[in-house]
Amino acid sequence: MSAKQDILNRIRAGVRDRHDMPVLDDIAAVTYPDPLAQFVKMSEAVGGRVIEPAAGEDLNSLVRQLFPDAREIASNLPEITIATRNPDTAGSAQALDGTDVGIIRGEFGVAENGCIWVPQAMKERAVCFICEHLVILMPKSRIVNNMHEAYKQVSFNDYGYGTFISGPSKTADIAQVLVMGAQASRSVTIVLI
Amino acid sequence: MSTSHSIKAKAFLKDGKYAEWHDATFWGVRTKRDNMAFGLDEWEQLREKASAIKRHTISHLDEYLEQFAVNAEANGAIVHWAADAAEFNKIVYGILSGHNVRKVVKSKSMLTEECEMNPYLEKRGIEVVETDLGERIIQLKGQKPSHIVMPATHLSHDEVGELFEEKGISDEIGNHDPTYLTYRARLSLRNEFLTAEAGMTGGNFGIATTGDIVVCTNEGNADMSTACPKLHIAAVGLEKIIPDYDCLAVFQRLLARSGTGQPTTTYTSHFRKARCNDGEFHIVLVDNGRSSWIADPDHWEALKCIRCGECMNTCPVYRRSGGYSYSYFIPGPIGINLGMLRNPQEHSGNVSACTLCNSCQSVCPVKIDLGDQVYKWRQKLAEYGTASKSKKMMCDTMSRAFGSESRYNTATGAAHLLNNMPHGLVHCGLNPWAEGHEMMKFPKKPFHKVFEDLEKEDKE
Repeated sequence: MSAKQDILNRIRAGVRDRHDMPVLDDIAAVTYPDPLAQFVKMSEAVGGRVIEPAAGEDLNSLVRQLFPDAREIASNLPEITIATRNPDTAGSAQALDGTDVGIIRGEFGVAENGCIWVPQAMKERAVCFICEHLVILMPKSRIVNNMHEAYKQVSFNDYGYGTFISGPSKTADIAQVLVMGAQASRSVTIVLI
Repeated sequence: MSTSHSIKAKAFLKDGKYAEWHDATFWGVRTKRDNMAFGLDEWEQLREKASAIKRHTISHLDEYLEQFAVNAEANGAIVHWAADAAEFNKIVYGILSGHNVRKVVKSKSMLTEECEMNPYLEKRGIEVVETDLGERIIQLKGQKPSHIVMPATHLSHDEVGELFEEKGISDEIGNHDPTYLTYRARLSLRNEFLTAEAGMTGGNFGIATTGDIVVCTNEGNADMSTACPKLHIAAVGLEKIIPDYDCLAVFQRLLARSGTGQPTTTYTSHFRKARCNDGEFHIVLVDNGRSSWIADPDHWEALKCIRCGECMNTCPVYRRSGGYSYSYFIPGPIGINLGMLRNPQEHSGNVSACTLCNSCQSVCPVKIDLGDQVYKWRQKLAEYGTASKSKKMMCDTMSRAFGSESRYNTATGAAHLLNNMPHGLVHCGLNPWAEGHEMMKFPKKPFHKVFEDLEKEDKE
């Protein structure tokens, strides 16, 4: 018999009582009078920076202003014209190493914890992690209160990968001291559009 | 009456200052968890739901596993089933050697620790690089994790600094600043990510309805491990499968809040497919005892565990004895129970590491009856042949004394004579009651006599 059948048979033989699935619709989950304000507060609490550009402000000059020393900027977004690298046409994920700023799009934000849903929308998703500084463009009209609402909205495309990102990569593995910038981006800037 | 845990705990406590720091550090994490928990009105409701979802899922695990496998395969993932650790290691090695992999970058997985996968692969010429900073530190140090979420917290920044100097990771000798050391590790690991031919992750959750493997990290190391190489292997314990996204929302909200006191981990990543057309995504579902534990009426709920580590942080014994005092690779309350499920003969020495205060089960996000389970294991020690002989003798003696009124009265009436025995005689190694503290003083008049006299006075 296959390992799979063996395992399933052992489970069937071992289970005593089959317990019912609980109702989940009655969870009295937290909501906020101003979800956007809460989202901004949480994003900052987890080490992110939130910027709301002035009406008509050019995103390219905004990024230049935020990262004046950046040499390699990677993005496949059509409105970003200052990109020096494109994750769609990069020969490999490795070729994106040394990216100073990566610019990507987030679909929606979660007020309770500052998470932003980022489905893969480029050939090399390494751009989201390998860059020193990550800029996420996010529609401010799309903020949900909590993860229950969030998981009703997540969608995937053919790449078959998506991640919630909340702030920069971090660790406290050395002596419990919080350090931003462990293995992935060292800072996250959320640009509300 | 010393147990393997108590002997090691004694050694741990020799350095009082360190023990105090260890205690305070983990209590600090517990405090952060409380801030999160008290900040949500629905916290207790979430725990209740999480527990019920897990009870449902584990008691329907056959159905959910099949559903998961069908959906993961429909996504293009290659699903393997491993009956035990040996089979798991063989499968992983088969995949890696089939792709001529010489180096694999790996994010944290307690399951690969459980199966002792790293030494197995290394013996066969495959380099395994741990990429979670804490795991990397203890890998370089040749140690095992002392905690499942914060595996290197037992080391000071000086110890890490010296280790990095020795391994050539940091080049400023004497600079032991955690920010600097983290940066140096980042540079070193970046090189590993770029040159490895395969990436491995664990899986915090597997979603039956979608076939997703969900991995939660703060460092982004699981994402780095899978964004560069073309081959991804996810090692997942059977009990990690949950029904759907509505369930996932409940666990996602509980996991980081419970484990580290954060509102979420930085990354909650969903993997469905290989990352490119010429890549492969393998999921290895590992049993290694789990399907049999389901049949244990007293202990099957240990399978609800989502490995947040909070039971360790809150445990007064863990905080004051450290992860290495336990014989099982998972320490603390959940580790005591999982160790006993794994091998009671080998891990009975841990069941003494519990005061039955039940702090663990009052914070466990999935409401495992951790303390009650420890109590139940203790009742079975005689059955396993691991009960303490001297304790058994004392219990028998006490049974005889308490079993007869005259023997009891004689014993309690004479007990005060012990008060006058020479100190050295009472505090010798033979009397476990005087270990680590002064022997109690016995009253001249036993309690039942005091009570009788009071009753008489009342009547008068």
